[in-house]
Amino acid sequence: MDRGPSTVGTVYDIQGFSVQDGPGIRTTVFLKGCPLRCPWCHSPESQRFHIQLSWQRSKCVGTQECGLCLDRCPKSAISAAGSEPVDPAGNDAAGGGAVATIDVDWSRCDDCGVCAEVCPAGALSMWGKRQTVQEVLERVVKDRPFFERSGGGVTISGGEPLSQADFTLALLAALKQAGLHTALDTTGYAPWAVVEETLPYTDLYLLDLKAVDPDAHRAATGVDNAPIFESARALAARGARMQVRIPLIPRFNDGRETVQEMGRFVSSLGPAVTVVQLLPYHAMGVSKWDRIRPQGPVFEAQTIPEDRVAGLKAVLEQWGLSVQVH
Amino acid sequence: MYEFSPIGPRVAQVRQTYRDSIPSVCVERFLLVSEFYRANPTMPPMIKRAKNLLNLCENVTILVNDGEVVVGEVGSRYRASALFPEYGIGWLFQEIRSGHFLDRALDPYAMTQADMDAIMPWEDFWAVNNLSAYTDAALPPEFADIVGNGVVQFGIEHTGAGPVGHFCAGYDTLIRKGFGAIKTEALERIDAMKGRLYGEDALKEEFYRAVAICADATITLARRYAAECRRQAAECTDLARRAELTEMAEGLERVPEHPARTFLEAVQSMYIYQIAMSLDGNLHGLTFGRVDQYLNDFCQADLAAGRITRERAQEILDLFCLKIAEMNKIWPSFATEAAGGYTSGQLITLSGVKKNGTDATNDVTYMLIECARRLLLHDPPMSLRIHEGTPDLLWDAAVECTKACGGVPTFESDKVIIPNMLQRGLSLESARNYCLIGCVEPGGCGDDWSANGGPGQESFWRIPSAVLLAINDGVNPMPHFDGSPQTRTGLATGYLYEMETFDQVLDAVKRQMEYFVDWQVAFTNIRESVARHYMPLPIASATFDGCLESGKDVMWGGARYNGTGTAAVGIGTATDSLAAIKHMVYDTKLVSAREFYDALMAGWVGYEPLRQRVMKETPHYGNDLEYPDEIAEWISKVYNDKVRSCVGIRGNHWSPGFYPVATHVAWGKLTWATPDGRKTGDPLSDGISPIQCMDVSGPAATLKSALRVDHERCGNGTLLNMKFHPKALEGGGKAKLIDLMRTYFDLGGMELQFNIADADMLRDAQIHPEQHRDLVVRIAGFSAYFVELHKQLQNDVIRRTELQL
Repeated sequence: MDRGPSTVGTVYDIQGFSVQDGPGIRTTVFLKGCPLRCPWCHSPESQRFHIQLSWQRSKCVGTQECGLCLDRCPKSAISAAGSEPVDPAGNDAAGGGAVATIDVDWSRCDDCGVCAEVCPAGALSMWGKRQTVQEVLERVVKDRPFFERSGGGVTISGGEPLSQADFTLALLAALKQAGLHTALDTTGYAPWAVVEETLPYTDLYLLDLKAVDPDAHRAATGVDNAPIFESARALAARGARMQVRIPLIPRFNDGRETVQEMGRFVSSLGPAVTVVQLLPYHAMGVSKWDRIRPQGPVFEAQTIPEDRVAGLKAVLEQWGLSVQVH
Repeated sequence: MYEFSPIGPRVAQVRQTYRDSIPSVCVERFLLVSEFYRANPTMPPMIKRAKNLLNLCENVTILVNDGEVVVGEVGSRYRASALFPEYGIGWLFQEIRSGHFLDRALDPYAMTQADMDAIMPWEDFWAVNNLSAYTDAALPPEFADIVGNGVVQFGIEHTGAGPVGHFCAGYDTLIRKGFGAIKTEALERIDAMKGRLYGEDALKEEFYRAVAICADATITLARRYAAECRRQAAECTDLARRAELTEMAEGLERVPEHPARTFLEAVQSMYIYQIAMSLDGNLHGLTFGRVDQYLNDFCQADLAAGRITRERAQEILDLFCLKIAEMNKIWPSFATEAAGGYTSGQLITLSGVKKNGTDATNDVTYMLIECARRLLLHDPPMSLRIHEGTPDLLWDAAVECTKACGGVPTFESDKVIIPNMLQRGLSLESARNYCLIGCVEPGGCGDDWSANGGPGQESFWRIPSAVLLAINDGVNPMPHFDGSPQTRTGLATGYLYEMETFDQVLDAVKRQMEYFVDWQVAFTNIRESVARHYMPLPIASATFDGCLESGKDVMWGGARYNGTGTAAVGIGTATDSLAAIKHMVYDTKLVSAREFYDALMAGWVGYEPLRQRVMKETPHYGNDLEYPDEIAEWISKVYNDKVRSCVGIRGNHWSPGFYPVATHVAWGKLTWATPDGRKTGDPLSDGISPIQCMDVSGPAATLKSALRVDHERCGNGTLLNMKFHPKALEGGGKAKLIDLMRTYFDLGGMELQFNIADADMLRDAQIHPEQHRDLVVRIAGFSAYFVELHKQLQNDVIRRTELQL
């Protein structure tokens, strides 16, 4: 297997100073593609494995002044649209005025990227970029002085990084070789053989758990949770350090019983779990769903009131867990 | 984690009075000065300034307001602004005559018709008898040739109306020595030369006489306040207040003539001196310096002797800060767009190292942070000096403070600034004793006439305009106000489309920059040569190290150390502009030089797709990218090298800096479209901050880019403004933010300041100002109540990239 500096992966973002992804000041590398389809996902652009088109109407300068994309699409997926205010708040290229923009026919679009190449404003752009381990490494080591001061390092996240196993393993190895602290943010949904290979290079696992109940998990995410729990137990058995992250989703896993079950499971992992992070649902990702190929109805929910979150936190704490709310 | 204590009812009441008061214009000083100047046309300026001050101190209204323990007022009413006609006040006459004075949109002031009627007859008298007019008259004719260049900010009229401010006087000397001893020393020196004035002795003798008069003036003012306290005490039925008024009276009978004995006397001595200096001059940026260092000994002695409690000490400081907040000075209406919010720039410096190099943090350090955090005051601004040994608790208190009170304090690094002071020639002890002046400018504390804001009006310089002139054959594309095109005001460096390589572009930029730095220096040196003649500052010189020894006023080079500071605005915009030209025209050749030039000269109008492409394709400063950052480094080197080679009229070297107060917005309005895709009139980048919203790689990357400016050579300060979302400080975020700052300072960064604000909340404050009256934000060089700012400055805060953690 070819794993080294030239191994290529699909990266959709590298975020400096992402301090909630592990200890200290961290730089997080987000890999594209995830086997789960959580409807509440706040990074919908991370779900598909291939590089895909993003269309952001508020950035479009309008077909009157520009229109460079109109004739370029090989699939004729782009057409002129009527004139409308693209953003009533005025935070757009047209300053809130009415602009004749375009429509994207997603049924025709095959994410070839020709339109994004010509779009001067970046209203049409591509999510994801093919990068080598070496390129990613060169970017993240720039932040080394900040890691050293704060006890931070690099987190690999996604998407599901273990779905790009070769790239993730090569990157982890390169980061360790560079003397950096590594964290792997994973759903745990991967064959144990793959997870096991990460052990020598991973200082901390950020393990995302959604639900203990297999049916509920499958119904919501589209996949079985058995491999996830197997990964969790095996990691604990092998002495890995773990932070468990639980997205608290209204009507899905925010019931006391559900949280109770989760507490039981997490506590069974023993001292491997240093902390549990509760991530109450927020709607910040909603606008991103508009920018990509529609994939069913957009998840809508209210945020969970703070006192309720505090109550659920207390439930977990009864299991002797150290819990943080983010 | 630092625990803040609640404020007591008395302080809360005084604060409420402050927040509910509407500033007004007081004509008392105007009329006293007018009569004095008319009656004394032949008096030499040094003596005239001193006697003018004495006349003011003998005659201004004495006001001891309810609840105050520290007293002193520059006007005849609470929160009134005095007027300074001798500096040039044509703008006020114009505003009054226009009929719109009372409906100023920003920094509104009340003024009675009777007061307007009282000053209008003096218009003709002051039209010719003022510093601004004298300066205009002193400018050589060739200055007219370069007006309108857009790089250096001055005209050939009304050039001297600004203050002769921006310094830190010797408050510590005053508190510990007293004006009595200073006067005695001055008189002894006069005696020593009596009847035998050789060389420059005549000037020295005049200076010593002026110092003695200023000592009398300040002592007189204090005595008059003492009498008022006694009068109120006699009438007061509240026994506790009566005792307090009596204590205040005893203190004011003691200081500033004699050394302070108690904490309250030390604070009062400092403040009455501040009032005297404010009555004397048209001052702004009248910096307090290291207040925690001056006061802590007194505080500890009082605590040890049981004279005060910690709560009482805190209350005295709370009321002291509320006095500072109350003091304000009216600015011309046009200037409020750039620096609104009644800011007075009376900066306080906290902590840092002592003269012996050890940590200087003390109880008063924390108490002053308590003042800002709990009283939510934008004034006094505070700067916190950071060094390796800064206690974690102090870091915590300071971050909590800036979270509640945007940008208070700013964070300044001893690691960079002390070497910088040494480079300027300060001794190690003096260098370690530095303070911040005005906004972010380092200077010595009581021994350094650092003239950080230039010798007079702030001395600013717009880099993006130098870039425009460089590629447009020395002509500013921004038309005159009447719409007529500019003629050539810079060097004829040719047009962009004639330049075959990017190095030719850089060479043209360098030549324009050096040319205009020289003009800036020439202008400023001329202005100072006029100002020192008409507006010497014996009241400030009296406490400066070096002045009594040398027999010279600070304006004449009497202080132990001397400097002149200037600041460049828009390095982010200029960097991205040059990066855009390099990338689009020379490296990728995505567009021809001719088309790029045409688009720019059209202000990008009709070239929107190209403008968008420029913004999208160009690597931007602020993202830790070599391509733009090496240009930023180059610009700062060209600017720093040139400025540092210039010589001021006190024989001193000039110091470069990168901070804008808030002029990046006001001057953005006067700057043509720039090659980075910025449209005509949009704000310029601020300090060494990246262009708003172009730093998309997180704060660590922004800081790495900012470090490419060589901070240790920026003796006049750098400013980096960041905005964090409140969520960023939750959980372990605060510790990480502190580590972020520490790393920046480890790597050679000089200054950082933050707003911890949510853009949605700021937008809501624009719509419902009444619900956000106490929201303090940092603009660039100062903090202010958000709702009191010009909409454009508000938008500038909102637009700044919101950094999530």
